[in-house]
Amino acid sequence: MHASDIDSPSRRAFLQRSAQLAFTGAALPTVLNLAAMGDAAAFSAPDGSYKALVCIFLYGGSDYANTVVTYDDASHATYSTIRTSIAIPKTPPVDAPSTPSLANTVLAPITPLSNGRQYAFHPSMPDLANLFNTGKAAVQLNVGPLVVPISKAQYNNNSAANRALYPLPPKLFSHNDQQSLWQSTYPEGSTIGWGGDIGDLALSSNSNSLFTCISITGNSVFLSGDSALSYQVSTGGAVKINAANNNVYNSANVKTVIGNLLKESRSHILENEYNRVTKRAIDAEVAITSAIGSGTPLGTGTEFAPFVPVLSGNNLASQLKMVARLIAARSSLGAKRQVFFVSAGNYDLHDNLLAGQAQNMTVLNNALNAFYQTTVNLGVADKVTSFTASDFGRTLTSNGDGSDHGWGSHHLVVGGAVNGKEFYGVAPPVSNTDTTSPNDQWHVGQGRLLPTTSVDQYAGTLATWFGVNPNSVNGAVSELDSILPNLKNFGVTANGINYPKNMGFMQAP
Amino acid sequence: MPSKLADPTAGEAPQNTEHTSADFSPAYLSVLGAALLAACSGNEDGSSASTTANATATQSDTAFATNATGADVSFANQADSVSGYRPPNATTNNGIPAAAGFNNFPVAYTTNDAARFLMQSQFNASDAEIAAVQATTFAAYLQQQYAKPIGQTGVQWLDARGYSVSDKNSFFYQTYPGEGMIWNQLFTSQDGMRKRVALALSEFFVVSQVGLDFTWQSYALAQYWDLLVKNAFGNYRQALEDVTLSAAMGYYLNTRGNEKENSSGRVPDENYAREVMQLFSIGLYQLNLDGTEKLDGNGKKIETYSQSDVTNLARVFTGYNFDNAVGKGTVNVYDDKGVLQTYKVDTKESVLRPMALTVSKHSTLAASFLGTSIPAQTPGTTALQIALNTLYNHPNVGPFLGKQMIQRLVTSNPSPAYVARVAAAFNNNGAGVRGDLKAVWTAIFLDDEARRTYTVSTTPAPAPIAGSTIRNAEGRLNRNIADKAFGKLREPMLRFVQWGRTFGLGPAEAGFVYWKIPETSNPASSLGQSPFRSPSVFNFFRPGFIPPSSALAATNTTAPEFQLVNETTVGGYLNYMQDIIRSGLRSYIDPAVPEQSYPSGLGYKLHTVANYASELALVTDATALVKRVSLLMAAGQISDANQTLMINAIATMPINSSNATTLASQRLDRVSAAILMVMASSEYLIQK
Repeated sequence: MHASDIDSPSRRAFLQRSAQLAFTGAALPTVLNLAAMGDAAAFSAPDGSYKALVCIFLYGGSDYANTVVTYDDASHATYSTIRTSIAIPKTPPVDAPSTPSLANTVLAPITPLSNGRQYAFHPSMPDLANLFNTGKAAVQLNVGPLVVPISKAQYNNNSAANRALYPLPPKLFSHNDQQSLWQSTYPEGSTIGWGGDIGDLALSSNSNSLFTCISITGNSVFLSGDSALSYQVSTGGAVKINAANNNVYNSANVKTVIGNLLKESRSHILENEYNRVTKRAIDAEVAITSAIGSGTPLGTGTEFAPFVPVLSGNNLASQLKMVARLIAARSSLGAKRQVFFVSAGNYDLHDNLLAGQAQNMTVLNNALNAFYQTTVNLGVADKVTSFTASDFGRTLTSNGDGSDHGWGSHHLVVGGAVNGKEFYGVAPPVSNTDTTSPNDQWHVGQGRLLPTTSVDQYAGTLATWFGVNPNSVNGAVSELDSILPNLKNFGVTANGINYPKNMGFMQAP
Repeated sequence: MPSKLADPTAGEAPQNTEHTSADFSPAYLSVLGAALLAACSGNEDGSSASTTANATATQSDTAFATNATGADVSFANQADSVSGYRPPNATTNNGIPAAAGFNNFPVAYTTNDAARFLMQSQFNASDAEIAAVQATTFAAYLQQQYAKPIGQTGVQWLDARGYSVSDKNSFFYQTYPGEGMIWNQLFTSQDGMRKRVALALSEFFVVSQVGLDFTWQSYALAQYWDLLVKNAFGNYRQALEDVTLSAAMGYYLNTRGNEKENSSGRVPDENYAREVMQLFSIGLYQLNLDGTEKLDGNGKKIETYSQSDVTNLARVFTGYNFDNAVGKGTVNVYDDKGVLQTYKVDTKESVLRPMALTVSKHSTLAASFLGTSIPAQTPGTTALQIALNTLYNHPNVGPFLGKQMIQRLVTSNPSPAYVARVAAAFNNNGAGVRGDLKAVWTAIFLDDEARRTYTVSTTPAPAPIAGSTIRNAEGRLNRNIADKAFGKLREPMLRFVQWGRTFGLGPAEAGFVYWKIPETSNPASSLGQSPFRSPSVFNFFRPGFIPPSSALAATNTTAPEFQLVNETTVGGYLNYMQDIIRSGLRSYIDPAVPEQSYPSGLGYKLHTVANYASELALVTDATALVKRVSLLMAAGQISDANQTLMINAIATMPINSSNATTLASQRLDRVSAAILMVMASSEYLIQK
């Protein structure tokens, strides 16, 4: 699909690096000395510091309007009118006093929002509200994929001339494409994600480059770099392949044969790729298993002591617990810079929004709060930053009991290095009408938010804290711009909105 | 392409000097006086075929010249230098003539060929089916499959197992009846091809148990499977309508309960309108017949639909719900205080029937989408027909569906020409009918790109035949495939089904009729995939998935099934198979009753087990054992070198115990080892 597109990230990175690395584009699970190849040294890792980014991807499109809920009387009234049956009340109705309401999750930022705007988290997020109010979490408002800053008029104008000046992100409102766009700046088919790009730059910080980018959930493009691989670990640890380690059906010879079959190089491309993964799995399993705690069998649920308990059945918490164990084992793994990927599903709430979102937010609240507290217990709270992401936000209007696909959404950043207790970005007006009023300019129909912060700015802020160099060196494209290709279109003010390259929600790197 | 008949040849009697007659299909051995295949011998401009066409087989390197569509034209016209065989007249292939790129390899030359064909067109190959394929042409064999009866349906199985009963077991809430239903269908159905393509369709018209949560959902799932089966050899248009109105899809993508716009700002749910376009019919971008994307004057892809199309089409899918005209039933459920309560719920029939339309809940607005306009106040039934016809008639459907079905069944990276041939068959089955799925399957499985065989080796290698380029050193027909990216990764659940069908997986004891095989989704301890349990409507993997950080990424080679491959799942699969190959499937759940009960004293009970009688008969001959498993699981695609390693390892496994029980265990170890070694090898895992 992108073979002829010179701007596609796989081509771009391939061309950039192939001359230096003289390889065919296949990833190498070995240490690369980027400094020796002339790349600007990105990381001050030699000072021994450790940093980790944890991406929590909410699959399905998380409903912004019921996650970070508008709370001041005026806007909440408008929100309730538009959302009808799926609105969350500020306080419970008299005749239904146990209805979940926003009273316990009000957010109190250091810098008040203009026009008296206020927000509260979903009622199921009291611990995350507490993290916000104690300065350990920040909210990024109305963020979504953008190629350039764009106004509603520019969005609506489909003339070729206008589109050339104000291109839209491709395939808006399509799940798989927006997931890919959030994770990699390109729609479905992309093979390089910005988490992996960050990992590429971080490889030289780690003694085993394979453990730079680790996913505890299924395959995704986020952690794939052009050198960095997305290495997958289950919630129970690395899977030990019995046939490669023990006699098979009482035969050592069969074990040997299988071991060879699993790892051999093949001339057939698909055969070879499968075996590469298996070989990696076998080679890495020993290191992971011993690092995270020897004698901890897969899936037994043996508690990891520093982890704050969470009610069972919370798969996101299980994933984050494994992240915590890997972070705790960072010395054994020789890791100084790591990017992790976890996920939760069931966010595509076209129906059953109230109950579904309540369940989802309980899971998120419990898992993310426990994870943060665990990093405190491990003494790494200011070295680990977690952030949420999702395909898109949803409509403000209701379809009866749910909402439909949208665009901009509100997201959370959590960690000791976050400039918390603040909102970043721009609070969107609450509206679903189509007049020329200023209130109607920041949605593209049915309250689908037109983002006022781009994913590139959001990602760039995180990446800069992590150690990616935002400055140009010797006139070359900066590392940050090279991994976030649309970022160069920001750092401006347009349509009355400021689009800074660094949103400011992270402390200095 | 004009069809050109070459001179019929009074062929010589086949000279089978180095192969047993069992290796060669009687069909082609008996062909005498058959005309040559026609159109493949023509040149693109219609001029005469190469002069080698009717000559005695030449032995030069030009023997494998290809025409513009890639067919091995000269091979198809060559007599085999050893047997003297020439492929039969196309018109004997059940009236399916050869054409450029299509049906130029009409028969299986070897058992490997036959097994390979069976593994593409159904789940597995058995001795009997291999022989049946070799006894006729591929085209004729397909016709036999089209004619097979459906057999017991999923719903019938649930009824027969007692799952329609409403008692304290609350079957109406459970998902395990649905699991048992689908495993039973996949492991035991006699119409394997129909079930195979129905499963492929289930990865196109995706419904997942993961997203279902309503009374009688196992029945709804069975009904959904049954309609895919019913339509597998029918028409796409009917399949689209049945899917749209099914209870399972209605729940899954929210058509059920979808209501028209109202004055408070509620608007119709857009989920089905979007996904029916994006996933079930036309896709995101306009396509050429060959599946490539059309480009506008600026070289950009052209979108098929906009948000406005989605919003408008959503109005059509309003007013639907489960058909409660069949009335409410009652179910008896123990509440949490242990008191038996009687609740009114939808009956089982309500999820078996198409959803019903409530006119007052159907949108009265006009709807314009994809160039079609439905006037305001159009009755819902009419609007639905218009909408489905619009989708069905869109030129994208043939290439969009066709390419994905090729990917599910044959190869991840079909050539555009292959896609075009299949899409053309969708567009017109030859009798003027659009959407005939039989024409699609025929086009997929008889295409030259599917039927070319890999060169494989066997041991021991016969002496090379001097001067022959038609046969390689092993005596195999050398229709060389240079393309090292041909084929596809076998899906984990298909490996499991293939193993089970090949080795007669079945109840360990009479009375264990409930097929209580748990779903196999766990990536660390099981297959990481289970039928009807994809994580979302986007199936287990995307049609355009390219494994990042790989040689495939560098060459933009698509490999959808690799989206399931990571360091966890490769291990989960191997550990799971190692266990069940040898020990069968065991559980603490009582296999003899319909419900999930855990009787104390049952222990870890064997409930479903393979039958290795034919393999056990070969345990003393490691070579024969490995060859058999290589044939039945991998269509003989395990290389010489690896087969030798496997044989040598097995030969060192003792089978000499004087204790009967130990001896039986040793014999089973050998068989298990052969199977596991094959199933662990990349040569098996990549189906070519």
